[in-house]
Amino acid sequence: MTGASRQLPAGFAELQRFTGLWAGETTNARIAARSSSDMPTIREFYDAAVPRLAEALAYCAQFPLLEMPAEAANLYRLMLGLAQATIAVEIHGQPRAPGTPWPNSIVLEQGAVPFG
Amino acid sequence: MNEQSGAGAALQTNFTRAAGLSHAPMPLAPYRSAAFFELERAQIFERAWLMLARVEELAAPGDFVVKSVPTCGKSIIISHGKDGGIRAFHNSCSHRGSEVVSLRAGHAARFVCPYHRWTYGTEGQLLGVPDEASFFDIDKKTCGLKPVACEVWEGWVFINLQREPEVSLAAFLGPFAAHLQGLHYQAADHPVVLSATLEANWKVVADAFIETYHIPVIHPQTIGTTFSSRANPFARLIDATILGAHRAVSMYGNPDFRFDETHFVHNIAYSAAATGSVIAAATKEGAVNFLDHPAVNPVRSGSWSMDVNHLFPHTHIDCGPGGFWTHQFWPVAPNRCHYEVRFYVPKAESAHERFQQELYIGRVVEIVLEDLSNVARTQRGIDGGGQEFMQLQDSEIGIRHALEQVMKWVEAPTVAQALA
Repeated sequence: MTGASRQLPAGFAELQRFTGLWAGETTNARIAARSSSDMPTIREFYDAAVPRLAEALAYCAQFPLLEMPAEAANLYRLMLGLAQATIAVEIHGQPRAPGTPWPNSIVLEQGAVPFG
Repeated sequence: MNEQSGAGAALQTNFTRAAGLSHAPMPLAPYRSAAFFELERAQIFERAWLMLARVEELAAPGDFVVKSVPTCGKSIIISHGKDGGIRAFHNSCSHRGSEVVSLRAGHAARFVCPYHRWTYGTEGQLLGVPDEASFFDIDKKTCGLKPVACEVWEGWVFINLQREPEVSLAAFLGPFAAHLQGLHYQAADHPVVLSATLEANWKVVADAFIETYHIPVIHPQTIGTTFSSRANPFARLIDATILGAHRAVSMYGNPDFRFDETHFVHNIAYSAAATGSVIAAATKEGAVNFLDHPAVNPVRSGSWSMDVNHLFPHTHIDCGPGGFWTHQFWPVAPNRCHYEVRFYVPKAESAHERFQQELYIGRVVEIVLEDLSNVARTQRGIDGGGQEFMQLQDSEIGIRHALEQVMKWVEAPTVAQALA
């Protein structure tokens, strides 16, 4: 899926430009977004998305988790991408744990339901 | 039993002596020797009961999973038969030996070999042979899928690669069974599964997950402050129990751990579902039955993070405040293993819960990544051959007992003697 088809709900337009990288379909894709990005890229997304996190989760919570309309699901996956960006910003101060390789042999064989 | 003494004083332990184990340095040759690796394959992995699955993976008749046993080059079908029985088979056709099932899991009324369409029932029986008339007095009754010994204990599915296992699963489990008997395995139908190929002997990796001495050093940002504190700066164990060939250790947890205000998103994620530990994903309320079990936080410590229940030879069943998870360490070569971790997390019911899980999974991947680098470094050091022995301290009792048992099985002519 391309970024262009990841339309966000009205009211979240300023986050639209981040969907191509951060609203990946799976946890693996969102981990890859963090692991392969530099800190300025991660930080720019984190700083833009954090002030909208509570609002975005409340918006998505209007719908059953397994039956979100496409635009809500796009916004929700973007917030899951924020969870990944958070690992870099709040835990490591760098994209991955210090001294660890990317790419590496770790595979998420089965993720959490949904969007895992 | 060891209780923490006053604040600021070190936790004193005496596990190794109390268990009657030696205090001697332990050999490193079993971590690098190709000859020892071959003995482990033959004497341990081809003789011990090996945990391969949970029943929730094949809940209904007709469900099946295919598991690999990389140590022994096996592919095993575990089938929930129409008659309700759970059986294991070699994934190999009775015609010319081809692999029959290429899916990793599924639901089927029958198994059809993709090579010449020989067809088997869910109980392994040969049902159909195309152009059967061209074969020579084929005895279909003896041409079913070749069975592998299979038993189920508390929802865990085990196999044994001996044609006639020398001991029953119950005899193999010994006191381990009583220790975990009746544990409520919550969210057992919803594992998050991570795997990795690690450049280290399987015991190097298993060892890393049964000691906490390394945690303040290797995981300072991810979990260091959860497992250690000023009262227990070196993360000493709070309990250790020898259970036949198996063992259990209980790990310290810092009761004062909180995310500080710089962890802005973490605080939003965890505010509604505090679990007392970042290693947990479930809520405290859902874990009450689980936490009541006597093997979970066995000393009922207020400073507890998790228990490791090490099921011989290569499986850890871990329990924490929010539930259980497993590690498996499959030997592949003297300095390589296949590692798999399964975190059983409740299916999220809200946008908030699933967000918290994403953060949790992200942290877990980082912890595994830290260990991945560490075990490769450990193995390179061992392979260099400069050290013949390792010095083990009291909180590394799990490593000492595991290696003693491995050495015992490798030398024992019979399984009964290995278990004696």
